[in-house]
Parts: sequence; structure tokens; C-alpha cells
Amino acid sequence: MNFAKRAWLNLRFKKGRSALLILVTSAIMLFVLAGLLIRNAAATATQQAKDSVGATLTLSANRDAAFKQMRQSTTSGKPTMPKLTTSPVKLSTAKKIAALNGVASYSATVSTSANAKGFDAIETASASQGFGGKLPGGTTSSSGDITVSGITSTASNANFANGTYKITSGRGLKAADADSQNVVIETNLAKSNHLTVGDTIKLKATTGTKATYTLKVVGIYKAKSSATASAGPGQSDPANTVFTGTTLANTLKGSKYAGTADSVTFNVSTPAKVASVKKAAKTLINTSKYSLNADDASYQMVKTSMKSVTGFANKIVWLVVIAGTIILALIVILMIRERRYEIGVLLSLGESRAKIVAQFFVELFVVLIIGIGVAAAGGKVVGDKLATQIVSAQTTTTTSSQQTGGGAPSGSQGGAPSGQMLGGNTQRRTASMTNPSQKQTQLQTQVTPQVLLVLLAVGLLIIFIAILVGAGGILRLQPKKVLIG
Amino acid sequence: MLTTDKLTYWYTSADQALFKDVDLTFEAGYSYAIVGQSGSGKTTMVSLLAGLDKPRAGRILFADHDIAKIGLAAYRRQDVAIVFQAYNLFTYMSALENLLSAMAITNAAHKGDKDYAKEMLRKLGLSDAQMTKNVQKLSGGQQQRVAIARTMVCDAPLVVADEPTGNLDEDNTDAVIALFQQIAHEQNKCVILVTHEPAVAERCDAVIRLANKRFTWEKTI
Ligand SMILES: Nc1ncnc2c1ncn2[C@@H]1O[C@H](COP(=O)(O)OP(=O)(O)O)[C@@H](O)[C@H]1O
Ligand SMILES: [Mg+2]
Repeated sequence: MNFAKRAWLNLRFKKGRSALLILVTSAIMLFVLAGLLIRNAAATATQQAKDSVGATLTLSANRDAAFKQMRQSTTSGKPTMPKLTTSPVKLSTAKKIAALNGVASYSATVSTSANAKGFDAIETASASQGFGGKLPGGTTSSSGDITVSGITSTASNANFANGTYKITSGRGLKAADADSQNVVIETNLAKSNHLTVGDTIKLKATTGTKATYTLKVVGIYKAKSSATASAGPGQSDPANTVFTGTTLANTLKGSKYAGTADSVTFNVSTPAKVASVKKAAKTLINTSKYSLNADDASYQMVKTSMKSVTGFANKIVWLVVIAGTIILALIVILMIRERRYEIGVLLSLGESRAKIVAQFFVELFVVLIIGIGVAAAGGKVVGDKLATQIVSAQTTTTTSSQQTGGGAPSGSQGGAPSGQMLGGNTQRRTASMTNPSQKQTQLQTQVTPQVLLVLLAVGLLIIFIAILVGAGGILRLQPKKVLIG
Repeated sequence: MLTTDKLTYWYTSADQALFKDVDLTFEAGYSYAIVGQSGSGKTTMVSLLAGLDKPRAGRILFADHDIAKIGLAAYRRQDVAIVFQAYNLFTYMSALENLLSAMAITNAAHKGDKDYAKEMLRKLGLSDAQMTKNVQKLSGGQQQRVAIARTMVCDAPLVVADEPTGNLDEDNTDAVIALFQQIAHEQNKCVILVTHEPAVAERCDAVIRLANKRFTWEKTI
């Protein structure tokens, strides 16, 4: 009968004490496991975000360079009206970038305006105040009462993708609609003009020949109330925004815009590839005329949020490990004091002190295994509860900090022609920012054999230290003092 | 078999030594009783002989080897078996498990032999039911018999006992002394026991009295 058997006999005989030890150890293991699970879940969420959360590259006119040029011409040239020249993005360039490895899809946007013919645009408060859908600045001449947004497809458009806009009847625009005369209109515009899917509307261009085009309504969309409400002065009612293929929008905009777009957004398959795609794409464009902006905000948001969750989980693990070690060490010290007599008998029989320590270790090891079993059974419940708490506390802080940083009205997408000096930059931000805040990251905790192995290692470390601390009592014990007197 | 060589011991200071320069020799096959007044130092002597403590001066030789050189733990494991007044059994085990664990620790020849241990307990008057229940449920006499059985299943040629009958009634005392005689004579071991009971001392082969810090032979082999 070796020390292991003695350990077992002792555990079995001292049922009350064993139960107490199991209880304490289970509690320690439960919290360590919960911490480990949350940590792993955070790592998985970050990895998943890396794999699935959208990252985009947006190609648009290089506004900074254009501004610089404008300033230079003003100082060196005659004191005339400053003129901002920007070059629209060529769709042929966009197609080349789209063919790069890592680009999943692309979405072009052409914004312009036209005048309603044979139907009425929605009039807003701001419109009746005299702005009349006209924009501040020097570009009033080119604006009509209907905002035309030429897009590659509704599915690839950020507002439709994130649910700000929703198709309520008919269908959205597809890539095949690029050269068609099909249009998707807002539900309020449709109602006030008694338009339904299949009807036609007429739009009159504000530039060039001012020709009239007949468009077929293929779908009706509804804007979320927030989008409608956020229309500011100088902007026509968002309900007046109609979506068409890029070709028609370019035609309405003017002959020089054929085959171009205001901006093209490339969806990169994983955030990890953004940098390489950007590098490759830059060789295809003239960087003094165009700029390429990466946006992996949603990934970055998940990443930072998960980083803080991991930090929190690590704190839990460390705290419990330290507290658990102290508690177990105290228990072992008390246990050894209580069992001095037994240790004395073992020593009088000539048992080595190492084997006596080993017996205590085996006893705690058996307790640990049971504790891990209990933790494995209950760890997921505790982990999930804790994770929900942490994430909700966490998301509140990121969302609030994000709102102070952003600040673009969410309805501004496609709301203004590209010549507009204000808001050009906000267009890009809104498109990508609305996405991540939509859904909160869910932590999926999962008890795997690997995590249980880590738990076992942590548990072994704890009982090892506890025994090491308590073993002093065994190593110093004089059998004569215990057994005689 | 066991010799003390100028054995000296004190607790507080050298001038208050319990005994000084003690030279004694013990042979295998005999039982020795150490008698003396309470507080004279009998327990102290026996704990030295059992390797539970180190002498202040002098040596203890087991088969001509200094037990300090053998190593006290090794000496206790291989060469000496100890019986105490308080039995000193593992309280969380049965009588049988107590024997089996001692056999394992001392690496006895019959290590792991359950039947041998059972046979020994039966010889000492324990029923099969008694030997498998927790040892604390046995009477004092039965527990002391288990402690003696423990020395018998181990191979140590030296058995040291401190007041082994101190807690026992007359009948149990008789039975226990008979067992010690059996160990000495039949197992050919050396038995050294401390007692304050003249009746117990009388039945041993030799008697040594500790008085005035000296050991004197009252009866020799
Ligand atoms: N650990 C100790 N420290 C100091 N003095 C002790 C210790 N143990 C015993 N003594 C003293 O040594 C003397 C001998 O004790 P002991 O050997 O137990 O005597 P006996 O067994 O003959 O009654 C006693 O006076 C006792 O008080
Ligand atoms: Mg005594």
C-alpha cells in the first residue's frame, strides 16, 4: 500500500473534510475556467471578425491634393474665383482593382440630381424656407429636386446592407441593372405620387441638353425613421433620393462623367488583406488625383473591444489563481497541523518525508480532478453569464466614445452631388460606421479538451504552490515530539 | 545486535544530563525490560534506541553500524519497529490496512501479502470482521494488539516499545507480554520495552533499572 493508496483511504474516511476541499477547489476552478473561456471566446471573436467582418477600401478623388492645387493657383494667379478641380473615378480603373486578389466585390456610387417631371418631389421644412433643395456654395446651378444615386447594386450599398434602407416592394437593383432605366424610389415619394412597382417616372437632367428620361420603377424602399429625420438644411428630403444604375446617373450628371463614379468602395475579403490590397491598388492609380482609403473600423472596433474583454478575463484568472493559491495553502497548512500525529506515525515507520508530501499532493490532486469535473459542468454557465456582463458593460463604453468621434448624419449617403465642399468626407465614414454598431459582438464560450488541459495545469500549479508552502510543516516535524509526550 | 557506546543525553544543559556515558548491549532472541521511576528518562532512552532522536554524545550501533551513519529514517524503516503506549495506528484505516501500509513502507518480505497480514491478526485474536472495520472502533487492547501485529509482519529485527501495556487491563497485559515473548523467542528478534509495572518486567528475560542517571542490570540473560 503506497502513498497514493493511503491518500485515497484518507479522502474516503474524512468525508466531511474532503467535501469541503472539493467545494473550495471547485469554486476556484470554476472561476479560473470561466476566465479562460471568456479569454478564448474573445480570441475567437477577434479571429472571426478578422475572417468575416467587412473591411473596405474606398477609391475617390484626392481632395487634399485638389485643395492644395486650388490654393496654389489662387496665390500665384489672378485673384479670380477659386476653382476646385477633382477627377471622377474611372470605372475601368475600379474594375482593375476589383480583379486584385483579396477583393470580394465592389460598389460604385454616382451622385447627382435631376428634376421631377410629371410627379412631385417631397417638400420639407427646409425646402420651404427658401433653400429649395439648393446647396450652399457655388454649385446651386446644377441641382434638381430629385437626388439621383447611381449604384452598382442595392445589395452592395452600405445603407441597404446595414438596414438603414429596406426594399418593401418590388426588387432592388442588381449588377445587371447597370445600363438599364430601372429605378428604386422611396415609399413616401411613391405614396404621395400614387406610384407602384411597374409604373414609370420622368426625370429631366439639369445639365447639358437637359433631356428627359423615362425610368421604370422596379422597387420601393423604406428609409428608417432616423435616416429621414436627420435631413439638415441645404439638403433635399431624403425621400427624394432615387437609386438607379451608374450609367443613367452619369448620363444625368453630364456627358463628361460617362464611365465614372464619385467613389468606388471595394469589399476586401478579410481585414488582414486590406494592407496588401491597398498597396497593389495604389500601383494602378494616379495617387495625386485619387486617394484610396482603407476602412476596417468594424474590425478594429471588435479588436479593441475584445482586447479589453481579454484583459478583464486575464484579471479574473490571475485574481482567482492568487486568491485560490492563498486559500488552498492556508487549508493545507491547517490540514498538516491537524495531521501531525499521522505524519509522526509515518515518520516512525521510516516513511520518507518526500512520500508524505506526495501523499498530500495525491489527495489534493484527486480533489482537483473532481473540482475540474464540477467546473467543466458549470463553467459554461458561469462563463456565459460573466461574458454577457462584461460585453454589455464594454459595448456601452465603445458606442458612446464612437458617437463623439463620428458625428456625420446617417442620411447623407448619396445626398449631395460630388462637387459639394461639405459632407464629401462624411459620405465615406457613414457608410462604414453604421455597420459595426448594428450588432453587438456575442461571446461564444466553449468548454474544449484544450481549455480543460490548461485548467488542469493551472490547478496543478495552485496545489503545487499550496503544498510547497504547507510542506514546511512536514519537513520540520520531529516524530518524537508528536508521538511521545 | 544493539550496543550503546558512551551514550549521553540532556534536554536543557549538559550539567543536567538525564544519563551519561551509557554502555549497554542487547542481543537478538531476548526480551529486555527498562524500569525506573517516572521522569527518570526511560522514554528518552527508548526514543534514542528507536532512532527518533539523536544522542548528545556517544553512539548507538546496530549490528556494529552507527545508526547515525545508516540514517535515522532508514534505520527506522529497515531495522527497528516501534510500539507506543498510545498505539499510534493510522486512524483512517482498518487494522488490516494498517498492517499493509506498514509492510509497504518498510518494504517487508511479505509486502502486499494480504493473507499473511490477516493470518497474523487472527493469531492475535482479531476476527475477520474486526480487522476490516476502522481501527478506532476496536478496544484499547485490540488496538495495541494491532500495533504489535504491525511489528510482527515487518522484518525489523529490533522491536522497541514504550509502556505498551500502560493503557491495558490485566488480561490484555498478559496477552501482550506473551506476544512480545513470542516475538523475541520465536521470531528471534530483540525486544526492548519500557515499563513501570513490576509484573511486566518480571516476565522479560532481562531487566535494566534506570536510577540516579545510571543503568544497572537487575536481571541478566
Ligand atoms: N522535550 C523535552 N524537553 C525538556 N525536557 C523534557 C522533554 N521531554 C522530557 N523531558 C524531561 O526529561 C525527563 C525524562 O523524561 P522521560 O524520558 O519522559 O521520562 P520517563 O519516560 O522515564 O517518565 C523528565 O524530567 C522530563 O520532564
Ligand atoms: Mg515515559
